Amino acid sequence: MTRTRTWVAACMLLGCSAAWAQETGYTLRETEVKAKPFLDAQSVGKLPEKAQVTILGRQGGWSQIRADKVEGWIRLLSMRLGSADPAKKPTAVATTIGFGRRGTGAGPTVTTGVRGFSEEDLKEAKPNPEEVKKMETFTIPPAGAAQFAAAGGLTAQTVSYVDADGKPVKVKK
Amino acid sequence: MNARLLLCAVVLVGAVGIVAGCAGPQGQAFMDNIGGVEGLMKNIKQATGTIQEPEEIEMGEGITETLLGARPMVNDPEVQRYVNFVGAWVAAQSDRPNLPWHFAVNDSDHVNAFAAPGGYIIVTKGMMNLLQNEAELAGVLGHEIGHVVRKHHLNAIRKGAYMNLLGAGAAGATAGSRGGELVNALVGPTKELYSRGLDKDDEFDADRIGVVLATRAGYDPWGLAAALQTLAKIKADDKYMALLFKTHPNPSDRLDKLGTAMGTTFDRFNDRPQNADRFQRAVAKIRMVAAN
Repeated sequence: MTRTRTWVAACMLLGCSAAWAQETGYTLRETEVKAKPFLDAQSVGKLPEKAQVTILGRQGGWSQIRADKVEGWIRLLSMRLGSADPAKKPTAVATTIGFGRRGTGAGPTVTTGVRGFSEEDLKEAKPNPEEVKKMETFTIPPAGAAQFAAAGGLTAQTVSYVDADGKPVKVKK
Repeated sequence: MNARLLLCAVVLVGAVGIVAGCAGPQGQAFMDNIGGVEGLMKNIKQATGTIQEPEEIEMGEGITETLLGARPMVNDPEVQRYVNFVGAWVAAQSDRPNLPWHFAVNDSDHVNAFAAPGGYIIVTKGMMNLLQNEAELAGVLGHEIGHVVRKHHLNAIRKGAYMNLLGAGAAGATAGSRGGELVNALVGPTKELYSRGLDKDDEFDADRIGVVLATRAGYDPWGLAAALQTLAKIKADDKYMALLFKTHPNPSDRLDKLGTAMGTTFDRFNDRPQNADRFQRAVAKIRMVAAN
């Protein structure tokens, strides 16, 4: 317990981006690599479809990547995480969030004590009015939300809704 | 028929007087006149009016009682307060800023999030564990807020299949008894709807709204897309994802649609905060529980 907590704390201090830094992905199509995360930035190369990349970070709609012969920025949605090779087993939630990492490190071993919200759990559910009352005690008034936003460096923006094609939709607000 | 009474009927389904304003001599006379639950159901099915906000909130509360009945809230006031701060700020950017928005993290390792009418939103602990920063959380909450703003669940419940279940629940209620009838009437439809999911188009719609609301709230607009990237890499048969994958279009399709809808329109906000540090501090305790 203590050891795990120390590990988690250390990981957070040093940036658990250690795991993020190891994240890999692959291109969905032929993709231009830019020197900076901007559309009009200089092109530093091109990746073919299904090129494997290591992901170094993200800024907005751009992923910073390293590939065999090139390093730079590609559009976030021109790639997917994981491997382009379907034979390679995709990721499990358990490994992603660290279940079963303690002890042997033998992978996702937690099969008991899972707190589910499966279809079966939902079927067997009985209404719990006390929990809803409890939930309602955490409600934040608008002034509190604005203060929280300011503390996080968030400034409200004016943006229209968009339709499926990306065209602006009239806003009622 | 008086439209107001019809609205009351839609919500109450045979349970007289749960919602203030539906009770009273007029309401009672109406109940006496329409010939019990069967007549009531017939009228509901013919209803063309919309359900008003107080009744919608009452329904949402009833639905949430069943959702939290499946898994209660995680015992961590700090994370509960945190999701309410983020959620309230994002919801304030919506078309329904004055709803009493409530947010909760439930104690489930499964990855999912739920919205109920009237502004009740639940995110699982498993989802919180997969997310990387506050911008991603804002996108996920924005998606759920989108369902409420567009009344997706409310409209689904009004459809025939759910109305039959509503009737079955209501038939068991004793005429004139108080409290719990509405919840009982909603248990069947809730289980059915949240197991089956909404129409795919409602989900794509909620994705676009989620992006816009998170952007309006001042976040990096690509948080929801980044969260969907994480979901997209998880294997299709992962048991922690089963209900989410069953009830939603697959994450890769959602990313394709978002890509088309977002284009480069949102790029001017690319440098807006993701607030990873504040998010990581808020989820530290539930992460430790997951690691143990």
